[in-house]
Amino acid sequence: MIADPGRPLARSLYLHIPFCDTRCPYCDFAIHIGGDHLHQPYVEAVIRELDWLADSRRPQLGLETVYLGGGTPGLLALPLLEQLLAAVEQRFGIAEGAEVTIEANPSGLTEELARSWLALGINRVSLGVQSLDDRALRWLGRNHDSATAEAALRAAAAAGLENLSCDLIYAIPEQPTSVFASGLRRLLSYQPPHVSCYELTVEPSTALARWVTSGRVLGPKEQDFVEQHRLARELLEEAGLLQYEVSNYARPGSESRHNLAYWQGRHYLAAGCGAHGFIDREAAEGLGFSLSPEDVGVRYWNLRNAATYIKQVTVRGHGRRGHEALDHEQRRLELLACGLRLRAGVELSEPRQLVEADRLAHLGLVTIAGNRVAATPRGIEVLDRVTLELAAS
Amino acid sequence: MVDASQGIEAQTLANVYKALELGLAILPVVNKIDLPQAEPELVREEIARVIGIPAERSILASARTGEGVDRILEAVVTALPAPVGDPEAPLRALIFDCKYDAYRGVVVYVRVMDGRLRSGTQIRMMASQGTFTVDEVGIFRPAMAAVEELTAGEVGYLIASIRNVRDSKVGDTITEVARPTKEPLPGYRQVSPMVWAGLFPVDGDDYQGLKEALDRLQLNDAALTFEPETSAALGFGFRCGFLGLLHMEIVQERLEREFQLNLITTAPSVAYQVTLRNGSSVEIDNPDQLPEVGMIETIAEPRVKLEIVVPREHLGGIMELCQERRGEFVQLEYQPPGERALLTYDLPLGEIIHDFYDQLKSRSRGYASMDYQLTGYRAEQLVKLDVLVAGNKVDALSIIVHRQQASNQGRKLVQRLREVIPRQLFEVAIQAAIGGKVIARETVPALRKDVIAKCYGGDISRKRKLLEKQREGKQRMKRVGSVEIPQEAFMAVLSLDR
Ligand code: SF4
Repeated sequence: MIADPGRPLARSLYLHIPFCDTRCPYCDFAIHIGGDHLHQPYVEAVIRELDWLADSRRPQLGLETVYLGGGTPGLLALPLLEQLLAAVEQRFGIAEGAEVTIEANPSGLTEELARSWLALGINRVSLGVQSLDDRALRWLGRNHDSATAEAALRAAAAAGLENLSCDLIYAIPEQPTSVFASGLRRLLSYQPPHVSCYELTVEPSTALARWVTSGRVLGPKEQDFVEQHRLARELLEEAGLLQYEVSNYARPGSESRHNLAYWQGRHYLAAGCGAHGFIDREAAEGLGFSLSPEDVGVRYWNLRNAATYIKQVTVRGHGRRGHEALDHEQRRLELLACGLRLRAGVELSEPRQLVEADRLAHLGLVTIAGNRVAATPRGIEVLDRVTLELAAS
Repeated sequence: MVDASQGIEAQTLANVYKALELGLAILPVVNKIDLPQAEPELVREEIARVIGIPAERSILASARTGEGVDRILEAVVTALPAPVGDPEAPLRALIFDCKYDAYRGVVVYVRVMDGRLRSGTQIRMMASQGTFTVDEVGIFRPAMAAVEELTAGEVGYLIASIRNVRDSKVGDTITEVARPTKEPLPGYRQVSPMVWAGLFPVDGDDYQGLKEALDRLQLNDAALTFEPETSAALGFGFRCGFLGLLHMEIVQERLEREFQLNLITTAPSVAYQVTLRNGSSVEIDNPDQLPEVGMIETIAEPRVKLEIVVPREHLGGIMELCQERRGEFVQLEYQPPGERALLTYDLPLGEIIHDFYDQLKSRSRGYASMDYQLTGYRAEQLVKLDVLVAGNKVDALSIIVHRQQASNQGRKLVQRLREVIPRQLFEVAIQAAIGGKVIARETVPALRKDVIAKCYGGDISRKRKLLEKQREGKQRMKRVGSVEIPQEAFMAVLSLDR
């Protein structure tokens, strides 16, 4: 059994802001293109949903992390952001020293904007750099070039924004590993304390998926994945950013606490279209979910379409599309799958799993210290299989 | 019964000859006359020429539309001889089938040859010796319908609170306890299996369930035999004997569908007669049981007389197939002259139990048909081909092949296995070996990448569901040593093209 760190309270909140200027061809997130007139009603709907969430009649200790994800929440006008954060503060309280993150794209990120965000209490920016190679950026269909990205990096630094994270995509077809490497080196010259580095995935029913199936473009190659993942790890760790999770690297102390909450199996509230939340049994009952005795928590998710979401919230107070009650066994599986993604690994106590872990250790895929099992760099490359082996034993 | 679009097939012909030998009346029916490509008149003429029954006596029918069914029923009454038998003689009834009903016990299907059967009759099964009191008799119309009495010449069922399926053996004779007959009916000739395969539950806990299911199937499938078998790779299971591949597939399918068993079936094998240096001999139906090479004097394999009916334009391809399968040409006739070929080959049975039938169909665009009969055994240069996965011999993958084909077969087999064994966390060598000497080798490269780096805004459910699904898939594989081998790998030898 893995100790359950989820109790007693959800100390994290995810807010989804779906707006984007254009849709990147590889993106399958819940987003909404254009529609500036929707910003105001949307923010109001999210605030109404917060009322519903706050209704769980739990003592509120204040949020440790708030994450504005998207979409591109950086597109929201300052007054709307202010209104939203005030609503969060009022209903849940934001703890002293909390991590408050906003996702933003390089276009439009000025020093002034960064300062305003800081003034609103937003102390962390996750910047969608994706690449510093113009060819690759065009291939990805991003609406910025490398100069814009670098200007944004300089603006953030000038504004005194210390807690900066940069997203980077690798295994982009047609981008040679050497070009990826020089882009990453350039990025590192700005000394970001946190980098999220994930491979390009071809998600079903995206434009990219259609292009790949029709042969118009090549899909990502396994070879590139392995090479560039290794290289990224090497360069990032050399620069002092440790791979604390499969796709996240940080200087010690600069890890994203919000992200960690996901992987450590903690509870988190969520509002906004397409958002996913995870609440414990007590909170779920407070919100009116009906549970059977063996359920230990509830995962819920919201409608993906922004307009439909607004409508439903107006009528029902929440934008929920579905939920799933977790029993002990499902919870256990999640804690295993998520925990293995972390550098720290997971505690195992089932003898059969430990025997299996020993076999995996002999293959050089995990290390074992006491009952704690963590993936090695090679193990991370095949982590889903490693997890399966442990889960099935 | 002849298909109006296909003409007479080899098996029909073989059965007609058998029926003629036994002096039975024959009533030809040309079926499927509703098909657009049907040629009923041509088929009628063919029946007249080949079998000698005047064309107008063949009834044209379509089971699908029901056309002609009345004429068939009428002809059964007028053209076939009425049953003979004496209702006053001591009871003699033949068990020709039975089924198990959870509430009423065994329902015995009988044909009454002499005497009478009614509820209250005390009966004895002459071979199995059980005695019972009949609760109900009835006929099929086609659902079971109770009647007062079944008398000589009638076919129906009886129910007698028979709980154990073994008490009602197909082919046994039922008589009356009070007035027994002296002579049981000849019953059925015991058909013996020609093909054997191992059946293993994927989940070892299903062993008992598999045993009970096989017991149940054997009830009305006298040709099915089974004995416990232990495999180092697959654990506890049963070595089952079948009449042929089709029979094997039906049994396998019923076990999986009706009894919800998840099974691994090993590649089918024939029985070999092995003469040892010390003069004794053994018969083996499992390649893994083959004694040490040093002890063996000769290995003899069963051979069959194979008859194939094939349209002449496909004759070449079919002869080639027989040749590839170590067939020896016996004769070629055209029936009727110049049209369809009746081809006879003498060929090892082991060569047709693999994908011969599929090949026959594909090389004749579905038109060729075949029938075979066991003729005897012949010593050949046979060797056992072993398969090693990650250095460990997998007993369930061993096959017996002709020496001349061994290296070719070995190479194909390891190639096929490389395709069906999924990549593992480490490189897996697959080797084919004869008597410890490796003759072919392939490797399944280690899995290089299997991780989704991206996670979308806290959607952990998706991740867990995927994992749950994969875990289910994994449970359908068998771990041999440390390698996960999927079910189909054990049948890989069946789909080797040569
Ligand atoms: S900016 Fe981000 S969320 Fe918006 S379309 Fe592109 S990838 Fe999707």
